[in-house]
This record gives sequence, C-alpha cells and structure tokens, in this order.
Amino acid sequence: MGALTDKYCIVGVGETQQMRPSNRTTLSMACEAISNAMADAGLKPSDIDGMTSYQVADSTSSAHVATALGMRLNYCLDIFGGGSSTEALVAHAVGLIEAGYAKTIVCFRSMNGRSGRRMGGQIPGGPIPAAMAADDNQFNMGWGWTTPAQRFGMSAMRYLRDTGCTTKAFAEIAVAHRYHATLNPKAIYRSPITIEDHQRSRWVVKPFRLLDCCTETDVSAAIIVTSRERAYDLRHPPVFIMGGYARTMTESPQWNYSRPVIHYVAGNYGWKRAFGMAGISHRDVDFVSCYDAFTFTTLIQLEANGFCGHGEAGEFVKGGRLQIDHELPSNLSGGHLSEGYTHGVQMVIENVRQLRHRADDACPGWREGKHTYDRAKGCRQVKKARICCGMAWGWENMASCLILRGMAA
Amino acid sequence: MPVTIDYSKLRILADSDTRQWWEAARQRKYLVRRCNRCGHKWFPPNIPACSRCASLDVEWFETAGKGVIHSYVVVVQPIVGAFIGAVPYVVAVIELDDCREEDGTVTRVAGVLTNDEAEVAIGLPCAVVFEETNDPKIVMPRWQITGPAETTWKFNE
Ligand SMILES: [Zn+2]
Repeated sequence: MGALTDKYCIVGVGETQQMRPSNRTTLSMACEAISNAMADAGLKPSDIDGMTSYQVADSTSSAHVATALGMRLNYCLDIFGGGSSTEALVAHAVGLIEAGYAKTIVCFRSMNGRSGRRMGGQIPGGPIPAAMAADDNQFNMGWGWTTPAQRFGMSAMRYLRDTGCTTKAFAEIAVAHRYHATLNPKAIYRSPITIEDHQRSRWVVKPFRLLDCCTETDVSAAIIVTSRERAYDLRHPPVFIMGGYARTMTESPQWNYSRPVIHYVAGNYGWKRAFGMAGISHRDVDFVSCYDAFTFTTLIQLEANGFCGHGEAGEFVKGGRLQIDHELPSNLSGGHLSEGYTHGVQMVIENVRQLRHRADDACPGWREGKHTYDRAKGCRQVKKARICCGMAWGWENMASCLILRGMAA
Repeated sequence: MPVTIDYSKLRILADSDTRQWWEAARQRKYLVRRCNRCGHKWFPPNIPACSRCASLDVEWFETAGKGVIHSYVVVVQPIVGAFIGAVPYVVAVIELDDCREEDGTVTRVAGVLTNDEAEVAIGLPCAVVFEETNDPKIVMPRWQITGPAETTWKFNE
C-alpha cells in the first residue's frame, strides 16, 4: 500500500458541453468547467487555493482563470503535456496537499481541439498549406508522417503482424465505447454502431479507419482534489485516490521505433507500482477507463497494464467484454471515440460519477444514486462500481494510471 | 505508380544538430549518428547524445542505406499539404542492415516509399534513393523496395 492511499479524494468534477465548434475562448470554457466542478463539490471560489492545468501551447492559464473567478491561489502551475497528464496532475495535487502547499486544488484542461489547434499540426479548415518542419518535425514531416493516427498506426500495424490480431478487435472497442455513448446524453455520437459499420468506415491511415479515431472537440473539463477530512463535509460521497503511476516512460521516449518491440508500451513499466500502491489485484477492478485516442490505444493498454497477456488483447476484447453488464466495462461515457475528446479528463470524470453511483444518465433519480440498470431506458450506471482502474496514454512511450474507489469499496 | 510530393509546400528548417545530415543527403549519403565512446548508432539525427553511455562526443556513420521494412502505414487522408496529391502513400520504418550491434541493438529509420501500397509488405528489403526538391538545400531520402523476401507479412484489410 502507498503511504497516501485513500488519504486524498476527488470531490468535484465538471465540464462544458462537448462542442464542434465552441465559438468561445479557452478561458471562457475553463471558467465554466471549473464553476461546474465547484458546484458539484459544493465549494466556492474562496475554497480553492491551488490550480493546475496542462496544454500544448493552445490554452489559457491558471492565473487567468483565477483572476476571472476571483480566487486567491497559494499554488498555480500550467504544464506542457498532452494525454496522460490528467492523472499526473491528480498525483501532483496529492503531493502538494500532503506537503502543505495548498489545501484544495482544481486541475483543468481547456481546448478548442476542433476549431483551434488540431493534433498533428492541422489548421482549421484542412491540411497545412506550407509545412514548417523544425526540430523533431524535420524527421517526420518530410515523409508525411505527423499525426497521432499516422504515428500510432505504425505500432498498430506491427502489433497486428506480431500477434495475429485483426482489425475486428479494434471494432469491438469502437462498438463498446459507442454503446456507452448511446446511454450518455452529453455524447457527440449517440447512434449505435456494429462491427460491420466499423469495418465499412473509410480509411484514414491504414490500419486505422474513421471509426478507429477519436472525435476532435472543443471542450473544457475540471477535477477538484482535496484531503479526506475535507471531503467528508462536501456534497457527494468522496472518491478515494488509491494509487497510480504518472507519465511513466519507456526507454527512448522520443524515438520509439528502434526499440526491440515497438508496441511494448509504457504501461508495462507502471502497473505493478500502481496496483501495489492501491493494494489490489486486477480481479478487484469492476470497470476501467482506457484512453481511446484510437481503438488501438485502448487495446494495447489493456495488455500493457496486465489485464491480459502480451498479444492477447485481441482475444480478450472479443464478444463485448468491454461493454456495460459484461466482465470489464470500459469508458462508460463513450470516451474520446464517441463522447468527445477532452485529452483524458472526461475518463476520470466519468469514473468519479460511476463510483459515486451517480452517472448522469436518463434515470430520473440519478442525483440521489437511484438507477434502474435498464439499458433500454438509458441507464448508464454500472451495478457493481466500487473500484476503477483508469489507464491513460500519451504516446507509445508515456502513460499514466489512476486507481480510484468509491465509499462502498 | 511513383508517389508525387509537392515539395514547394514543405519547408525543412535544419538546425545546428542536423545541418550536416541534410548536407550529406544532398550528396546522396544516408547518415545516422554514432557515439565516439561506445559505438552505439541511432536515428533521428536531432538527438545529440548517446542513449547508451550519455556521451556528447558523437560523430556520423554513413550507412549503405539498405534495410528491411519493419512496419508501415498507408496514409489515405492527407494532412501535410505537400502530400495532398500523393495519397495513398506508404510511410515505413526500416531496420538498417549495417547498424545491427553485438548486443542486439538495431537502428530503424522512417521514410516514405516510392512504391505504392500494393507492393509493400513487412519483411521486404529496400534501399534509399534521393529525390531533388524545389528547395536546392533539401534533397529528400526516399525508400524503394529492392526485391522479394522469404518471409513477409501484408496488412489484410
Ligand atoms: Zn555511447
């Protein structure tokens, strides 16, 4: 067990709508998301004394948000980072509060990921007219290999070759996450899809089809972390931080492709620490979230984090295993593939709502934790939702994880 | 069919660590980095220190520019403007024949093939070719499949 296991809690979560486009600034969206998270927790701006965010030079700062919301912070920091930063900022908040730098910290991400700066260097309205290839880009833009889909596709292709897995396994993930989105009124894509729909969708970069790729979104999302003692007084049952790992790397983080196995990703180096810290085994996990920038990133993280053996994830996900009411429900809000792309925050948010037993679904009593579990009527709440493992992806060489539990666990 | 790339839409900004690499490409040489202390070789060239021994004393190694396709992707939706007229095109990671080290370390590089997707498979041998661009300072290395191989693997859609 970790020295700080269960000592700190997530007490508030909130976001804006998932928008395409927002027609808003990242500052305006961040203020709304943080206000929603404070309302969720039952906190006011003067109760928040720490703020952190991550971005890739595409967003507002903690200082701007604190100014706008009238907060006087004891700690603020905006880091450069993409996927897998959410869980790292939660870990960071735990350390800061433990050390006395702040008492209650909000972590946010705000991005116009669709209408502003798009991943892989696109500008709004289409391909780059004249590419500027400097630094690392000298050695990928020259051969038209820049986007996350194009980069991760290289590892995915080798994975298919090495393991005998087929793209039908990718389809299982697209279908499962979409099914969950049909139960989420906030999701962008809510029509159910089949394995065949996935197999018929157009190619983006082989081996990835359109339905293997997440949906670019304008959105902000926020999470509030505080100590257990403060958490008891707040609005919702606390969600306890059991353990994790944060932005753990493989060797050669900036050039994956000379490593012995290019799809032996960073989770392999982290999960034993996280599970040891949490004091649990995989059998204790009731549901997961698994960063789905692409279907493949979910697939590979399941085996990288020990839920199945190497090369076995294709078999593991077959038959709807990742769907609600099955063995290991994954990304219950619909995830990046179907709900919207928040650079990872929404997975933690959904996990918190599930662990509180308060998934914001079609059940009239969800606010009081009353659910029907009738999927035909739009209930999204997992029946047994006590412990959750959230796995996050930066790229092949960087990953985070956050293991949480609810009051009942 | 050869892949057509509009290099007028691509501007490479070489820097103090990579200028010699691009200069060598202009002279039809394909370089990787090599450590003067331990002999380790690597790519990409903008990484300025040896990841095996942390030495900053590094030099260039001229490879024969021959290797085997380790993996590939087929870009169908173009993103970089220079490649709009080139889709679908194949980008491959290539394991160089003359950079395998005693401890099993390999050096793999990336590049766009001159071949189209019908011809490509993991395991096929290929060699570098150099293509002039609209920018006289930039000659672009490309890779061309050079023959069959006993064991290959092809993406089955
Ligand atoms: Zn060395």
